Amino acid sequence: MGSSELLRIASHEAQNPIDSSLREAFSSLHGRLRPPFSLSIPSPSEYSQLNLALAYAILTQPLSAKTHLTHLHGIVTDGYDLFTKTLISLSHHCYPKLLESPRTQLLWVSSQLVEVAAVGVESLIVSLLRQIKGGDFSDASLWLCTELLVILSQNWDWLLEEPLVITSSLFVFLRLLSDHYRLVGSMVLDKLKKMEIEFCIRVLRECFHLCLGIGRDLIRLLQDLLHAPEFSDLWRDLLLNAGKFRDSEFRDISQLYCRRTPSHFFKLRISPEMETQLRFLLTRVKWGSQKRYQAWFFMKHLGSPGAETLIIDIVRFICCSLHPSNEIIRSNVISRWAVIGWLLNCCSKNYFSANVKLALFYDWLFFDEKIDSIMNIEPAMLLMMNSINQYVDITHTLLEFLLLLVDNYDVQRREMIVNGVCKSFSLLVRKGVVHSMESLTSCSMISPALRNKLAALMSSSDLGAVDVKVAATMVSHVGFGK
Amino acid sequence: MSSAKLEADLSMVLLKDIIPAATNTINTEFILLDKGYVAQDGKETTCLALVADESASVHFLMWGDECRGFAPGDIIRLENGIFSYHKNSLVLRAGKKGKTAKVGEFCKLFVETPNMSEIKWARDHNNPKKFVQESAVSPHSRIFPPMP
Repeated sequence: MGSSELLRIASHEAQNPIDSSLREAFSSLHGRLRPPFSLSIPSPSEYSQLNLALAYAILTQPLSAKTHLTHLHGIVTDGYDLFTKTLISLSHHCYPKLLESPRTQLLWVSSQLVEVAAVGVESLIVSLLRQIKGGDFSDASLWLCTELLVILSQNWDWLLEEPLVITSSLFVFLRLLSDHYRLVGSMVLDKLKKMEIEFCIRVLRECFHLCLGIGRDLIRLLQDLLHAPEFSDLWRDLLLNAGKFRDSEFRDISQLYCRRTPSHFFKLRISPEMETQLRFLLTRVKWGSQKRYQAWFFMKHLGSPGAETLIIDIVRFICCSLHPSNEIIRSNVISRWAVIGWLLNCCSKNYFSANVKLALFYDWLFFDEKIDSIMNIEPAMLLMMNSINQYVDITHTLLEFLLLLVDNYDVQRREMIVNGVCKSFSLLVRKGVVHSMESLTSCSMISPALRNKLAALMSSSDLGAVDVKVAATMVSHVGFGK
Repeated sequence: MSSAKLEADLSMVLLKDIIPAATNTINTEFILLDKGYVAQDGKETTCLALVADESASVHFLMWGDECRGFAPGDIIRLENGIFSYHKNSLVLRAGKKGKTAKVGEFCKLFVETPNMSEIKWARDHNNPKKFVQESAVSPHSRIFPPMP
């Protein structure tokens, strides 16, 4: 077999199974892919082979792609389900390896599938959105952003019927925009930024009722664009004129704070390969063996300039989407807090480390036992507690940051945040994630001022007997420490 | 399809079970942990590497294109490899008859102890053609020590 026309495969790399199956279907059927097309009805197995052959032909033969697409329109009997699934699988497993021309073809045929509202095309678009690599400002990456924005903007009526695509694309482009906004760039980047802004504002203004479904992380993302003049009107309305969003439900930004962001959103800014590797690391790798895996992960995903921004998304993903079973938690597999501690250490710029800490504590600020999961807040607590002995500066930095958030994140809604943070602490103690707060409150290596502040915070909230007891111990310990 | 079936039929061994021998009969899969410098050995380019699976590690000698083709974290399948002495050190390699291919990345467990290249082997009393393990010279690779 010659070299692949679809994927970049190095000389020592094994055959790719998806590539092989498409190529085999094409080579056995390519005689039938030219007009005049057969009028006979294919058997189910012929039908599936024909779909694979046409996918291969469309992706690798740009000059005759239109003819092949017409052929596909002619034979299709399943609403393009199989054809779309084939492209989803290719995008999910092989996008980074796709050669340039098949990439262009994939985006073209995806736009054509949107136009015919193919079965499953929404998942294809979401899969492609996931392939936009955060922190990668190469031409290929900016090109993919642009192509997807064009597809979404040109198919607005279709988009309005696809809540999953609307919310996913808003989530993705708001997140990308915060990185793109900080770059002083080329004409291509400036044009892209303008498109991203227009798209996001339009979605927020026209479909706010759907945007609410993103939950509190919508605010986290928007807050990164607070300084962007294009978003100032929107922010003013969010804070002062909720009625402008023409959504009878929406009265105040705190409603968004109260909604936990569904976990599928956090996958959107993590490539499938990163997800596989993080899951492997956090479900299989034992304490003591993690260093090589971490070094490989860093080399592959975080080593290039600009990639540091991904750490924010990874930490959010680990806290909110990667919840190991109790069996794994009890085993000697490396813990989430330790991996997050390592990631935090990988941040070299203050801007990123502040955002990583915000990602780590975000669910603490609005925590409500009824809707939130203890697993989202567990890593931050364990990282603070377990760092005391050897890395107390981490404990100190995290605690300081948390208390800063309480005072400054949203001054108007400080009470809500105080409540969320206190509830977080008390639940973590009550459920036995940590034995008590004592090691934190009695630690002489944490500044007395900080411990006083923590004690004052805990005693200020009205949280019931257990918490009062916790707060009382803390006050006495802080007093003792002085 | 037929070649994939053939591969499945090859009997795969764990690294802990390889024994020095002058035959190209080892089929196994491992993850590349570390690479040494790429060196010129006469006409051939070579590079010594540390590879491992969930049972053991071993020194793997890469030749020619393999030296630049494989990177740490790569999962490699070796077919018809040989585990034997090469210039006084015990290494696993593809040799002229064997074949290597990258089949994945990252997602494979490994241990660094024992290291099969750091074992002293002796002739079997009952069968002088065969080697048996005598003692471990070092629990792990002395060339590529474990990460601190």
